[in-house]
Amino acid sequence: MIKVTYVAPDGTATTLEAEPGSSVMQTAVANDLDGIVGECGGAMMCATCHCYVDPAWQDRTGARSSDEEEMLEGAATEVTEASRLSCQIRLDPALDGLVVHLPEEQH
Amino acid sequence: MALAPLDTEITLDQLSSDPYPIYRRLRAESPVLRVAATGRTLLTKAALTKAVKDNPDLFSSDDPQTPMRPAFRAHTLMRKDGAAHFVERKAISKALTPKMIKSDWAPLYEKLAEEYVGRLPRGETVDLFSALCGPLAARILAHILGIPEASDAQMQRWSQVLIDGAGNFGWKPELFAISDAANDEMDALFSELEERRRTEPDGSAYSAMLTAPDPIPMSQIHANIKIAIGGGINEPRDALATIVYGLLTNPDQLAEVRAQEAWDRAFEEGIRWVAPIQVSSRRVTEDTELGGFEIPKGDTVMTVQASANRDEDLYEDGESFFVFRDKNPHQAFGNGPHHCAGAHVARRTVGKIILPLLFDRFPDMRLPDPQAVIWKGFGFRGPITLPVVLA
Repeated sequence: MIKVTYVAPDGTATTLEAEPGSSVMQTAVANDLDGIVGECGGAMMCATCHCYVDPAWQDRTGARSSDEEEMLEGAATEVTEASRLSCQIRLDPALDGLVVHLPEEQH
Repeated sequence: MALAPLDTEITLDQLSSDPYPIYRRLRAESPVLRVAATGRTLLTKAALTKAVKDNPDLFSSDDPQTPMRPAFRAHTLMRKDGAAHFVERKAISKALTPKMIKSDWAPLYEKLAEEYVGRLPRGETVDLFSALCGPLAARILAHILGIPEASDAQMQRWSQVLIDGAGNFGWKPELFAISDAANDEMDALFSELEERRRTEPDGSAYSAMLTAPDPIPMSQIHANIKIAIGGGINEPRDALATIVYGLLTNPDQLAEVRAQEAWDRAFEEGIRWVAPIQVSSRRVTEDTELGGFEIPKGDTVMTVQASANRDEDLYEDGESFFVFRDKNPHQAFGNGPHHCAGAHVARRTVGKIILPLLFDRFPDMRLPDPQAVIWKGFGFRGPITLPVVLA
């Protein structure tokens, strides 16, 4: 099992266990976590699974694709260097312990 | 494995007048059912509808036989998959992102909503459906698309004609003649505006598509605008009418929505309760299985999101309008690659702007006779009249 920690804007941290191969978005949605909507189901069509990767993990989560980049432009909150669509972060054992921060809103 | 059972009794008239008791029965008895009247296999449980929409390889949107093609005089993104869909979708979705809507468009939407709500006569009985819901949805859309030169009446007529043509499964030539005439009008307007939208970009969908670094073909730009006209008026119109009905027939909830300013939750509940787009079709690309039944290649399955949105597995008393549900994971906007491109616009315009404005201006608005409200539609559904007293 891979552990992922989601930190809400108020600082509340929730750690979830993820199936290898699932995404950061899928793991959140499967566990009913508030703060990640993921309405399009991971098709990169809605930008409602925006998250900020913790600085300690940014090297390991990899770079954004150009399609992801474009869709991120539409996110409801400020987009920074740390911004990712969480549907595009696939979890493997190397990401065990990953920390992501959640935005104020997704719509 | 057996094929899904075949029903020969359910009629399209029944599904159009009140499908909900039928869907409730199907969820309990036959969540996978071939319904002869529709020529499709109906899926009425949320897990099934979501699984289908999330798997576009197995359940394709591409339908070579669709009457949408002659109705829109184009093969549109609605009926494409994969990269072909993505490239056309991306071209228009740039103009529909939350950021664009919030930063660039919200002030205009507010002005338009104020203008349309402001001209409603106080103290009279008014059909809100025809006096507000339709025209305001049309006006807002005309601006988003970059064709504000079109009148409300034109926008609404084109929309209905495109929908009627797209649903012309009987292939009646007279319906395509009507959609041809509307296509001529739309194409003429788009061509007339092209130069200006290109040289003076205004953030509209038309400008965004015309000025993209690698634009999609002109035929597909027209097709995208038409899809948005066909798919962008009925839904906010019907959502608004449904939510107003839900709130006026549940005054205790209305009071609480007001107190908490929970208009966005009222919006989500309204479209869950009666999804403006009730069903979608997908073509099966390989022999497969759903809910324990064999689904052969070439079959067309119909996801009934109207039913998924009331699924007992997800909702307590899903048949009732109840704004303050704990969770509301509805599928009114669909899911998967074809997830509604207008979702953000609808949430903002209807949920955050129009509803609070309307109830603020007419705090004692009432629905004298809820029984007089007629609901209609199998594919698209909502009240077709909404006589309210404005006070």
